[in-house]
Amino acid sequence: MVKRFSVVLVCSLITSTTAAGEPAWTERAILEHVDQEKLSGALSSEALHDLIAQGEVLFSAKFTDLDGAGRPMATQAIIPTKRKRPTDKEFHRTAGLDANSCASCHNQPVIGGAGDFTVNVFVSEGFANADFDTTDPQFSNERNTNHLMGAGLVELLAREMTADLHAIRRDALRKARANGEPVSARLVTKGVDFGALTAMPDGIVDLEEINGVDTDLVIRPFSQKGVMTSLRQFTVNAMNHHHGMQAAERFGARWTGEDDFDADGNPVELTEGDISALVAWQATLPPPKVSEPADSAWKEAAATGSILFDEIGCANCHRRALPLKSLVFADPGPLDAAGTLRQGEVAGISYDLGLLDWAAALEKDEDGNYLVPLFGDLKRYVMADRQVAALSNELLGQRFVERNVFQTTELWGVGSSAPYGHRGDFTTLDGIIRAHGGDARAARDAYLERADGERSALIAFLKTLEIKE
Amino acid sequence: MTRFQRFATVLLGLVTTPAAANGFDMDVPTLVEQAADAGIDHRYTGPWEYFVGGGAAAFDCNGDRLPDLAVAGGTEPAAIFVNRSATAGKLRFEEKADAIPEPVRERVTGFYPLDIDNDGVRDLVALRVGENVILKGGPDCTFEDASRAFAFDGGRAWTTAFAATFEPDLAFPSLAFGNYVDRSAPGSPWGTCHDNVLIRPSGTEGPDYSEQTVLTPGYCALSMLFTDWNRSGEPALRITNDRQYYREGEEQLWRVSPGRPPRPYRSSDGWRRVQIWGMGIAEADLDADGYPEYALTSMGDTKLQTLDDEADHDRPVYRDIAYDRNATAHRPYAGDDLKPSTGWHAEFSDFNNDGRLDLFIAKGNVEQMPDFAAYDPDNLLLGRYDGTFDEAGEAAGIALPRRGRGAAVADFNMDGMLDLAVVNRGEPLSLFRNTGGETASGTRPMGNWLQIELSQKGANRNAVGATILVKSGNETRTRKIQIGGGHASGSAGFVHVGTGVAERAEIRIQWPDGEWSAPFRVFANNFVVIEKGADEAMYWYPPGE
Repeated sequence: MVKRFSVVLVCSLITSTTAAGEPAWTERAILEHVDQEKLSGALSSEALHDLIAQGEVLFSAKFTDLDGAGRPMATQAIIPTKRKRPTDKEFHRTAGLDANSCASCHNQPVIGGAGDFTVNVFVSEGFANADFDTTDPQFSNERNTNHLMGAGLVELLAREMTADLHAIRRDALRKARANGEPVSARLVTKGVDFGALTAMPDGIVDLEEINGVDTDLVIRPFSQKGVMTSLRQFTVNAMNHHHGMQAAERFGARWTGEDDFDADGNPVELTEGDISALVAWQATLPPPKVSEPADSAWKEAAATGSILFDEIGCANCHRRALPLKSLVFADPGPLDAAGTLRQGEVAGISYDLGLLDWAAALEKDEDGNYLVPLFGDLKRYVMADRQVAALSNELLGQRFVERNVFQTTELWGVGSSAPYGHRGDFTTLDGIIRAHGGDARAARDAYLERADGERSALIAFLKTLEIKE
Repeated sequence: MTRFQRFATVLLGLVTTPAAANGFDMDVPTLVEQAADAGIDHRYTGPWEYFVGGGAAAFDCNGDRLPDLAVAGGTEPAAIFVNRSATAGKLRFEEKADAIPEPVRERVTGFYPLDIDNDGVRDLVALRVGENVILKGGPDCTFEDASRAFAFDGGRAWTTAFAATFEPDLAFPSLAFGNYVDRSAPGSPWGTCHDNVLIRPSGTEGPDYSEQTVLTPGYCALSMLFTDWNRSGEPALRITNDRQYYREGEEQLWRVSPGRPPRPYRSSDGWRRVQIWGMGIAEADLDADGYPEYALTSMGDTKLQTLDDEADHDRPVYRDIAYDRNATAHRPYAGDDLKPSTGWHAEFSDFNNDGRLDLFIAKGNVEQMPDFAAYDPDNLLLGRYDGTFDEAGEAAGIALPRRGRGAAVADFNMDGMLDLAVVNRGEPLSLFRNTGGETASGTRPMGNWLQIELSQKGANRNAVGATILVKSGNETRTRKIQIGGGHASGSAGFVHVGTGVAERAEIRIQWPDGEWSAPFRVFANNFVVIEKGADEAMYWYPPGE
């Protein structure tokens, strides 16, 4: 296991003052920013691990006013938005700041893990018309904290799936233009079916039959709704929302006309390099594993439950693994839009997740693809119906996704990430399974039809999907 | 000190901020002139009658949705250039030599495209020194003289301005022609401005333009535009006039109420006398309040007019905010010539996709006027976050020593970034490809964007008069579909909207009949096609996408 800190290097350079000239008791959390200009090309193992270490510092840092924490004149909106008046409180459970550190929520059972109900966050799709000083929950949806383990693999899967869908669209358009007739094509990638499109000879695409993906056919793998494209985008959003730490790549003068958009007196809060370090740390987190219980009864039950998982249809959406062609992670990635650093804006870096010790444990299929055991499909489904409506408890749609529609939760790590459900409403796995309605209703009903022992076996299996401490 | 802080002590590196290679906060688009490489060699030439005019039209004439170009030539033949640019590639055009009937090619001052007969194919109005002509669009960029078929008398005037609108209960557009000096009048040219005309259609089977309404007095119009200045839903006709030749003239705004004779707003209505060398009009709702602002080009100061606090529903009181917004563009920003500028075509567009409208102004000495700048480069005034503008023409690469006149702003290679064609008097047409934001080492991608095409069935296929609202977060960006304005130049097709860092948006349309659409949810960096009555917007993809 490669150490996530270069201990020798650290120990050799500890001094009574910081490199930035701060005293040892400084209240700054960020002593030196990461310089993006020093990052380019394919990173060596050493360079990668240095960057990961810098990312862990930032992920764990308790940001202070001196670093730029707080946003007295900016809202939490992902599009830079001014407050109407300065906030009178630094922290605010709904509109944020709602956390001092990334790790203060993502910490169960390890840093980068999930969070308890106490660290639920409030996402405010209704920001457009709301006065952000409000504490009224009608302007937000409450969400439980997801874990980030294996997040780099998830983003790589989404990139490959998006490339596949775009290739299908491109091919259909080419054929339609060539033949002068409409061409329909199924949108299937890595075995996941996203419906169909019809390309017209004039270049228009009919998207009426697409399913579970945005109309631009970009798989957005992050957040409960599946509306965030990349770790980079999510990081920039979250840093502003939760900490008031504004990344230059979105809140800087290029887009806002101001060096200090949130008017907290700190012109540079997070550099492009800082975000790159945070991305590297998250992208290289080891994926959860299927553990083998020491307890023989649990082991036996888990084996039975694993079979049941497939039989009753859980695996139709919670796919055990999706194949991944390449472990090379490019940052910036290919799919982000302006406001998140993009390819072509900087030299960019790439790193091979195969450099990480955990990668050796990834199984491969007969075609040489890495099998990413995420127990998910990166597709969105309706999760409630008239009889089983517990997961339709949000007040607002989010980023064009209706309130009762969610992306399949990746179950890897589910044994370590209670409570369950997008709001963390369910204390048990049995409870969240029973709450599956809508498109997942058949599997849920099949679960309920099974005997107590079989249901218990399924729980035994799910409990083996652990985040290792 | 935590172990994380201790580790941080060894982190090396300096604070960096995004590249700003040219001193601007925002992206400055890199506009690379490549007309010759693109296959366009065209000049606007001629004697005194062609000191003005020199228009271009960007519109799709062969059904592939790529904007083609029609360019006036004065004493040189007007030309149609068919767009053969590869998506996101170099610009490339092919001249279609026989596209315009031969007699019509000469003496053209400008072009405006619109679908007059509602057949789904855009036609072309050719403004000329002498008889104006309506060219009916046919397949594959062919045009035929339809003046006789449409009972249109092109007259004998020296025409330099045009605008069109679809009035309620009329099946075809009403056409307004703005005329310059009446050369045959005694004492010409001083004080002999020609009247303008409004031609309303009759007939339902096909357009009949046999009845003309004279708009008198005329004050030597150089640009006109139907504009819903008071959100009444009833566009008025704004005309900018050249004080060089009128006596006691002024800028004009005419009420054009359906079924009634047009009537000019007067001082008793609150209309304030403004006398400028009016050359071009551009409209934009800069503050998204529903009431448009107008840029008026002239010799010396450009005006930027906004409704004054004293204005009311039927009191068009305007004040000039050009100085406050740093948009006067009154003298060259480059070179040593400090004499006043001469402005012509004006157009608001978002060239750097930062979500804020920029203002392009074509500049150039009339011919050899000694009191005005000889080297007078075109302006690119980039919109700033605070509503002011920064001149970036030189940094963008458009400061050429040419005498600009008309222009067309369009995304010729469908890469989401607006390109620019500028017609120059006596000199080659400039064709600028927008290659992205300037950096120390080249270019980089700029902001997000949308391009929106509207259509409806029946009359007014291209929804002239519609309002497009694009909402992302708290910001709403507004565009109008209009035929008119600029300087002898009009464009039609996709409407471009920069959305800055917004990766998605809700679009609402107010159709020309006043009906509001439901919101359409779209992702940025797409070409969006919206048909009236449709539940969903559709995406269009250029060839090769």
